[in-house]
Amino acid sequence: MSFVIEIEHLKKSFGNKIVLRDVSLKINPGESYVVIGESGTGKSVLIKCILNLCEIDSGTIKINGKDLARLSQREKFSALLKCGVLFQGGALFDSLSVIDNISFGLIHGYGKSIKEAHRISIEKLGAVNLDQSIASSFPAELSGGMKKRVALARAIATDPDIIFFDEPTTGLDPITSGMINELIVKCTKEFGISAVSITHDITSIKHIGDRVGLLHDGRFIWEGTKAELLVTDNPYVRQFISGSSEGPFTGNTNSPRP
Amino acid sequence: MFIVKFLEKVGHCFIGFLAAIGNISLFLFRSLATGSRPPYYWKQIAQQALQIGYFSLPVVGMTALFTGIAMALQCSAGFSKFAAETAIPSVVMIAMTRELGPVLTALMVAGRLGASMTAEIGTMKVTEQIDAMTMLSVNSIKYLVFPRLLTGLLLLPFLVFIDDIIGILGGYLTGVYYLGFNSSNYIHNTFSSMEMWDVLSGLIKGAAFGFTVCLMGCYHGYVSRGGAEGVGRATTNSVVSSSIMILLLDCILTFLLF
Repeated sequence: MSFVIEIEHLKKSFGNKIVLRDVSLKINPGESYVVIGESGTGKSVLIKCILNLCEIDSGTIKINGKDLARLSQREKFSALLKCGVLFQGGALFDSLSVIDNISFGLIHGYGKSIKEAHRISIEKLGAVNLDQSIASSFPAELSGGMKKRVALARAIATDPDIIFFDEPTTGLDPITSGMINELIVKCTKEFGISAVSITHDITSIKHIGDRVGLLHDGRFIWEGTKAELLVTDNPYVRQFISGSSEGPFTGNTNSPRP
Repeated sequence: MFIVKFLEKVGHCFIGFLAAIGNISLFLFRSLATGSRPPYYWKQIAQQALQIGYFSLPVVGMTALFTGIAMALQCSAGFSKFAAETAIPSVVMIAMTRELGPVLTALMVAGRLGASMTAEIGTMKVTEQIDAMTMLSVNSIKYLVFPRLLTGLLLLPFLVFIDDIIGILGGYLTGVYYLGFNSSNYIHNTFSSMEMWDVLSGLIKGAAFGFTVCLMGCYHGYVSRGGAEGVGRATTNSVVSSSIMILLLDCILTFLLF
């Protein structure tokens, strides 16, 4: 069986600090995988390593069977077009309007005409429940929830096979968080996109995840379905779900930002 | 013990200095290698040309005017001791075209644009906008850095030329309306001693300084990390290193050109 993402024995460190010790992970087509763990355990670093946005120390990472580190720059860019990312803060380009943000990859990556790219962008704005009247607004004029939805529209504009969500509901109110969760489910289930999400939000995990992995001390120490997550007696998982300060997690983990 | 620690610190600084030179050289090589291949981002190049060539004109013009005035006044005070006031027009012209024009223009552009380049690119780096750009299959160095290097190289000589004209005009106004020079004599003395090489050498210096300011501005933005504080530090480093590089290059080029 071919996996959309296949990671074997990934190791990544920053100076003397080992962030990812031995990470192995396989994600099936159309599956939504959620990575959970304490803040600073290297979850965002894992996504950056998968996307070749930072160099790894050892191990292999394949996306759709291709090892990005071994591809030429042109092949790498073409492979990345099949991956969408919703960054933690949205990462919208401040100097571009909403429509130019969404069109950016279509114009410069896919080489589509401005007219065609704008047509697709308006369509994607609708898909994330945003009115086209905000198309000419700039990111600074939008609320946090709107920024996340515009970033999601940008991430799905190129019709990716895999989409990465880095803490998609952080800093949002419960209603907007619910809306973002709905959109993520819509993207993965309706469009058949595989997803890797990082979240601390238990509601999100229950909503968007097919399979969940708990990252601790540079490796996955527990994996299971979201149903298993709720009934497991693994002390780390129990403490994570309950949010209790009593348990094996000490809260001392702090990996650097990549 | 003290000597060992001192030598350790000196060695550490020296290795850091060499590493910085290596990193800047690699950054320059990558910028030129990727930027020289299509696609070319003409809109970005035009925007940068406007920023450097047009919006810098007021500040460069004012600096030149005040410097020209001050230069004529200083020359008058000094030369009157030797009854050599007639040399004022040619000294102002030579000082402006060979030295003050290119150096002051570059320093003003470093303060105005080098800092803004670092702040803009640095903010994009720490807010993951550069990662987002990579994910949308756009080479960020090609899109953000090369247009700035190109316009810095091509448009600083233009600014230096304008600076020369305004500086000489400042000297003329002071000479004629304050020091009592005859207008046609002043103009004759200015142009009779002017050689094409005086102006050309200044333009060559301008091109070298423009390229350096943009390289430093982009490099420091690109390597900044650690949020707003990191961007602030990078901006300071950019202006300081640009200024030092301008003065160092000025010495080298003056030695080579004259």
